[in-house]
This record gives sequence, C-alpha cells and structure tokens, in this order.
Amino acid sequence: MIRTLLLLLIGLPASALAFTLDDLQARLNQTDALAGRFEQQRHLADLDTQLTSRGHFRYQRDERIVWVLESPIEDRLEFTPDSAANIDDSLGGNQRGRDQVAALLLDLLGGDWQALQTHFRIELSGDARDWQVDLTPLSDALRDRLSEIRIEGGEYLDDLTLHAANGDRLHVRFFDQQPAMKDKDVTP
Amino acid sequence: MSRRKPALTWPRVAAWLWGAVLLACALGLAALLRDGLPADTRLTAMLPEDRQSPLIERADAQLGQSFEDRFVLLLSSSTLNADTHVLAQALTAANGNTNPPWLARLDWRDTDLADQDPRDDLGQYRYRLLTPALRQAIAADGGQSLVEPALRELFSPTGQPQPVTDPFGLLDHWLTFLDAVLAESTVRPRDGLLTLQDDERTYALLIGQLARSPYDLTAQQALTSTIAEFEREHPEVSLLRSGLVFHAATGARQARQEITTIGLGALIGLVAVLCFVFRSPRVLGHMLLPLVGGVLFALPITLLLFGRLHLLTLAFGASLIGIAIDYALHVQCHRAVQGTAFRLRPLLPGLTLGLVSSLLAYLAQALTPMPGLRQMAVFAALGLLGAWLTVVLWLPRLTSPAHPFTDRLSRRLWQLTMPRRRLPPRLATLFAILLVSLVAWQLEADDSLRLLNPSPASLLEQEQQVQRLMGSNTGNRYYLVTAPSEAEVLSRLVALGATLSRWQQDGVSLRYTNLADSVPPPEVQQANLARVRQLYGEPLTTLLERAGLPTRLAEQARQTLHDAPVLDVSSWLATSAGQGQARLWLGATDTRDASEKEPRFAAMLPLTDVDASLVPRLERLAQTREGVSYVDRVERLSGLLGQLRQHIAWWVAAAVAGLALLLAWRYRRWTWRVLAPPLGAILGVLGILAVAGIPLNVFSQLGLLLVLGIGLDAGIFSVEHARRAETWLAISLSTLTSLLAFGLLAFSATPALHYLGLSCLIGLALVWLLVPWVRPPDGANVKEPR
Repeated sequence: MIRTLLLLLIGLPASALAFTLDDLQARLNQTDALAGRFEQQRHLADLDTQLTSRGHFRYQRDERIVWVLESPIEDRLEFTPDSAANIDDSLGGNQRGRDQVAALLLDLLGGDWQALQTHFRIELSGDARDWQVDLTPLSDALRDRLSEIRIEGGEYLDDLTLHAANGDRLHVRFFDQQPAMKDKDVTP
Repeated sequence: MSRRKPALTWPRVAAWLWGAVLLACALGLAALLRDGLPADTRLTAMLPEDRQSPLIERADAQLGQSFEDRFVLLLSSSTLNADTHVLAQALTAANGNTNPPWLARLDWRDTDLADQDPRDDLGQYRYRLLTPALRQAIAADGGQSLVEPALRELFSPTGQPQPVTDPFGLLDHWLTFLDAVLAESTVRPRDGLLTLQDDERTYALLIGQLARSPYDLTAQQALTSTIAEFEREHPEVSLLRSGLVFHAATGARQARQEITTIGLGALIGLVAVLCFVFRSPRVLGHMLLPLVGGVLFALPITLLLFGRLHLLTLAFGASLIGIAIDYALHVQCHRAVQGTAFRLRPLLPGLTLGLVSSLLAYLAQALTPMPGLRQMAVFAALGLLGAWLTVVLWLPRLTSPAHPFTDRLSRRLWQLTMPRRRLPPRLATLFAILLVSLVAWQLEADDSLRLLNPSPASLLEQEQQVQRLMGSNTGNRYYLVTAPSEAEVLSRLVALGATLSRWQQDGVSLRYTNLADSVPPPEVQQANLARVRQLYGEPLTTLLERAGLPTRLAEQARQTLHDAPVLDVSSWLATSAGQGQARLWLGATDTRDASEKEPRFAAMLPLTDVDASLVPRLERLAQTREGVSYVDRVERLSGLLGQLRQHIAWWVAAAVAGLALLLAWRYRRWTWRVLAPPLGAILGVLGILAVAGIPLNVFSQLGLLLVLGIGLDAGIFSVEHARRAETWLAISLSTLTSLLAFGLLAFSATPALHYLGLSCLIGLALVWLLVPWVRPPDGANVKEPR
C-alpha cells in the first residue's frame, strides 16, 4: 500500500502537465499484478442478441491473465503471450485466432504501445483521471476483422470495447480492481 | 572475281565454296541467335521418354518448382528482432539497386503471410469439412460432448462466436486441423516477426521469392554479397540458408575460380607449347581455324535439326570437336619439316580415315533412343566434318612459316622416345586379357546424382536443417496417384494416407503431405454433412438453451445446411490457405491415346523423413494399389544417368567393331596396331579405375570417348607414316594439347569435370606411351601387307 502511494506521488507532477501515452504506460505498469471482477457483454449484430458473462480475473504483467467465468457457465481460461490455450480442453477452436486475440488483450492491459503501434494508429484523449485510448487498425487485413478498439480508465483500465468489422461488439467492464501479490497462486 | 594468273583449279574452287558455306552458316547462326541461344539445361531433356515418364516428369518439375524460385533464410541470435530488421532492409535495399529487380517479394514480418483470412475462402464449405476428432465425437454420442466446448467459446473474450452460421465452431476446428496438416503452419508470428521454434532456439524466418532465374548472375551476386556483408558485420548471428539460388551461386563461383586457374593454366600451356614448337604466332592462328570452322558449321545445322540446344551438348560437343586440332597438327608438322616439298596428298588417307573413324564412333550414338545423345553426336560429327574440311581445303593454301627448329625438335624427340623393340602381339594379347578380366571383376559403376551436385557439404547440411525445421520437403520421394476422376484420385489418396498413418502409429519414422486431408473426397464430404445434421439436432438445441439464446436460432442454423457446396480441388487451391498445395495437384492430364482405361487425373503425395529400410515397404504398397506408383526422384534420375552411360558404352563398342572391319580393309594384319593405342588406353584407364576403386560414371565415360577419338587418330597416323619423325611429333603434340585442355580438368572440384578430366589424363598419357610400342616394324609401309 505504501508502495502504491509512493508511486502515486511520483506520478502526480506528470499528471499536471499534458498526459501522454508514455505516462499512461508508466501508470499501467505500476502494478505488476492486478485482480478484480469483470462483466463481459458480447453484442451480436445480425441476431441483435446479447451474450453476457461475469467472473473474476487476475492479471500478471508480461506473464498471463487468468479469466474465471462464473456465470452463465463455469470455466477457467488462461492467456499467456505464447499461447492462449484453454487449459481444460483441446477441442477449443482455432489456435491462431485465439493466440492473436490473447496477445492483443495482454498488450492492451499492459499499455504496450510499442507492440500495438505496428498494427494500430493510437490516439489518447482525456487526462490522468479519465483517459481514453482509441486504436484504429493500420492494415487492410486487420481492418477486415476489427474496426476499432477503445479502452478507458483512470487509475486502472476500466472499460474495453472491441468493435468487430461485422458490427459485433465486445465490451468488458473491469471493476473492484486491486493490486495483487505477484507470486501468489493464481488459481481462484 | 577470280583473276587470271592463278589457274581456276579444283582445290581453289573448293576452298572458295567452303568459304561461302561457312559465311552462310555464320549468317544463319546470327539469324537463329537473334533471340538468344535456345538452350536447355534440364538433365532429363537428355534422356529418352517412355510411356509413364511425361507424367512423372511433370510431377518432378512441379514438386521442384518451389525449391527453385524461392529461398529461405533462418536467423538466430540474441537480438533477433534488430538483426532480422537489418538483414531484411539490406536485402530490400540491394533489390532497389538493380533494375529490373531480382527479388519479387520478401516475407519476414508477422503480417506478411497473413494477408487473407482463410475464413473468407473456406466459410461456405465448413459443413462438409469435419476433423477426424469431430467425426468421432459425433459418432460417439451424437455430438452432446461438443456442447460444453462450444458454450465456452461463446463466452470467452477471445472467441468469435457465430451462433447461427457456426455454433460449434466447425470452421475453427477445421482451420486448426489444417494448421497441423499444412507444412507452413509451423511458422508462428511473434514480436512482429515470422518465427520457427526448435528444441533449443527461436529462428526468425525470411522467405524470398526470386523475380529472376536462380542461375541469374546478378541475382546471385546481389543476394550473396548482401548476406556476406551482413555476416561480416554481425558475426554473432547464425544464419541458415536454403534454396537453389545458393547452390547455383556456389557452383558459379567455383566455375569462375576454376576458369581462372585451370582454364587459364591450360590456355597458357597450350600457347606456350605451340609457340615453342612452331615458333610462329601465325601458326597458332592456323591451329584454331579448324575449330572455329567446325563450330561455325555444326551450330546452326544442329539448331535447325533439333530446334534447341542442350548445354551439355554444347560443352561436350565442343570438346569433341577439339579432336579436330589433330588434323591441323599433322598438316602443320609435316609442312614444317618438309618445307616446300610438302604435299597434302600423302596425308589424305590418314586424315580421311581419322575423320571417318571418329564420325563412325560418334554417329553410332545418333542411333540411340536418347535424344540428348543424338544431338551431341550430330553436333560433334558435323563439327569434325567442318574442321576437317577447313584443314584440307584451307590450310595448304595459307602460307605459314616453317621454322627449322621444328624439324630439329622432331628428330630429337624421335631419338629420345622411340624404343628399339616392339611389343610382341602375344604379349599384348596377354596384357589385354589380363586387363579385361581385371575390369570385369573389379570395376564398379556409380550413377548417383551427386556427380551433378557440386555443392559443398556445409551448404547441403544447412539445406537439410532448414527443410527439417520448416517441415517442408524437396519432393524427392513421392507417390504419384492417378485415376479416371478427381473424386477417385482423392479416394485413393485417402486410402493411401490411412495406411501410412497406421504405419506412423506403429512407430515408423515417416512424414507425408496428403492433399486429401485438406480436400476430402466428395463421398466423405457427403457423410460429413449428414453428421453435421445430426449435430444440429438435439445438441444444438441444448447449446442454445444453456447459453440463454432464443431457440428460433436453431432453425436458422439448420437452414444454412441446405445449400452447402462441395469443396473441390481447384476451389481449395484457389484459397489463400490452399495455394501452398498447388504443387501436389497435376489435375487432368492429357493422354494421347483415347482408351478408356487411361488415367486422367493425377496428384502427388510427397514423403519425408523416409528411412532407407522403409523403401521396399513403400514400393510394395504402391504395387498393391491401383493407380499408385512410388517415385524416388533422385533414384530415377540416377537410373536414367546409368541408362545413358550404358547406351553410350554399347553403341560405341558396336561402332568400334564396325570400324575394325573398315580398318582391316586397308591395314589387314596391322589393324591391331591401329586399334591398340585407343583401345589399350581405354582398357588401361578402366583397369586403373578398377584397381584404385574409383567407380565408372557417365562423365568418366565421356572422357573415354575423347581418348578413343584422339587414340584412333594417333593409331592411324602412326601406321600410315610409321617412319616419319614429324608424324610422331604431331601425335605427341596432339596428346599433349588434349592433355592440357581436358586432362587438367582432373583437378576441378566439380565432380563431373573431375571425372571427365581424370579419364583424359590417364587415357591420353597411355595413348602416347602405347603408340611407339605398337607401330609397324621399320622398313615396312602400309602398301606392303596388302
């Protein structure tokens, strides 16, 4: 707790000036590990239906994110930079696509703009207390699948919205977020 | 335009006529070569066609294509990202320096290979494409076990659920399965690069597509110098390369090096010897004149007859024409020694017989079924004829200085080297019998393709390593599968794949790429659709209920199954994912005779990691299946090389037998003295090879053809002019110059040239040593024994 306070103090002068992507990255990287709850809403455009799921997560910077679904089904997913394999099941869909989405998720949560810049045009708006980042795909190949990504937050990343090219939308709200002990066991 | 003073004699008219012919040839050649030399470099173009071969030939060419136009670089270092950027930029920059560019494209960024999403191409076929695992799951419990994973996919943040189009993610399953089936899938995008992984390290991958032929010197130069510079500046980076262009570049460099060492050495030696003997640069020109005349005469006519010229024809044919220097040497030696008393007439029988014997030996090959050999024989024979005509019609008319030194030298040589005694025929026979039995017992033949491959071991090793890491194959071993219809080809491929995969499960080391894994036969696709209908029954309703989605979606999803198209081969090959397999499909093959039994569609199933002990089993498998044949590209080409070698041997032997009859008509009981130098030398070479344990191959045998030609000339002249010192000088010079021109090739690092040179080196030396021992006794001349 003291460490967080100290880091916040160091971060304060910067927030008084223009808030940059570097500042945001530094901010997001202050916490090595983060735990909290999420609510995921997937809007399917052509069916005009909503798929909603809830659960909790644990994020460990540069290592993994553990995604624990509680309702409507119970499941535990783990995404690492190398693989986003569903550890419970091998019949889990197309590996390449999952890897890419998982890598994207990890980059977004860590504010790794350097990695994201190769694929997206990145725009930051707002200030340190309430910031938004818009990512627009650079390549045609990516634009065929994704039209825009938007992340918002304050101290942490609070909202993530992925707009698919076909009109589908994935919105994830993160809440009750707290720094976690890095080496604590990640199983819920 | 003839003036009055020199009478219009017959030889004079002939000389003018010959000049006109050569001029016409030169003009014709210029016209033919306007669009460049229509040269053929395929080894197989030299070889005969049989019924099955055209198809196998096409299969071979298609499988080898990707290896020819493409090159692959694998980088590994501790700073992989930075190093790969540097190398890729250096290659791109080097490409910008040349116009037109030599590099068509360079793929190395993670986005480079992901231009198109395979979903778009394959989406409509998904209901007929089921992975083996899904098929089993549906067969086991109607597909209830698939509900749980599908549910997870609906709610995972990384999922891309499509509850109507594809509630069970059939396409995702199929694409994941394809990843395992397609060789390229081992390549993973990572940190902005394309990477490959093995047990120890990560490699960055650069794939280049050449815009020019791999034999193009500019492309080779640009590529190898860029890489060399990169390696100099980054010594810590380890680099693996693969692709024909690297082998071709190494070969070209080696050839250049040898041209400057061996080639220049031989040329200097030749000029030095001829200048030393004749003391006149003009004579040097006279020596070359017949060669020029020969090639000028042979080239356009051969091109007219065959349409195109094989490079081997040009190389070996030009060497064979080199024998023609003999004629010029004999004329020149006699002229130098006899001075103004020189007449061509006494030399004519020897010159003519020399020509006829060589023509017979080479033209015998024109009767073989080997198109390449026929071409080479025609080219060499025409060339010899042209050279001979030039010697006989022009050389006597050209004034050439006769230096007294030549005369002195010939006498000196005679005294020094002529033995007092002769080889008794009985002893010679005994020697010959001994040698023949030695050769018959000991000599082995080697027709392996390695002879054509001058690449150093380190490059071959890199090549293998890259192929292994990429999981790709050079298509050296494969099954060729033919059937009357596309569907039947696919069914046969499935049956073949089933057997091979059973072997794999039994622990046999073997990998293969099966087109039918990515395009199931129509009847399998039909069965798959039936299974999907089953899955879309109860399991689909359960899935929608548990996800809390409206059940009306189930009816919508079932609607999509009504007009699901069948995936055929050409549609698959047109997709971005299927492009890589285009090389496995020959498609409809045109068959000349219209009999119904004839196979009309063909595909290949390449095999990799094949252990030698498995080959008989693979062959047996092909024999038990209809329309399946096992092809080993290397083995097949080696076999064809062997055929080429045997054909040459038999036809030349037959020609020599015929020649012996012709020679017997003039030389009677001295015939053996004519034949002893060439045949003795050939036997000697074979004997030495047998004792040294060096196997005979097609190139050492081509060398023996040269020995035969030069040896016959030597034998004929030594019998025709037994007591003349100038003849012996000419024979000595002819063997020495040929030794310099061809024998020095024995020191070449290119296997083909090395073996050719080795035969010449030993054979020509033996010819020179044999001639004095078998020449006719003093005081006798040709006319007497008749």
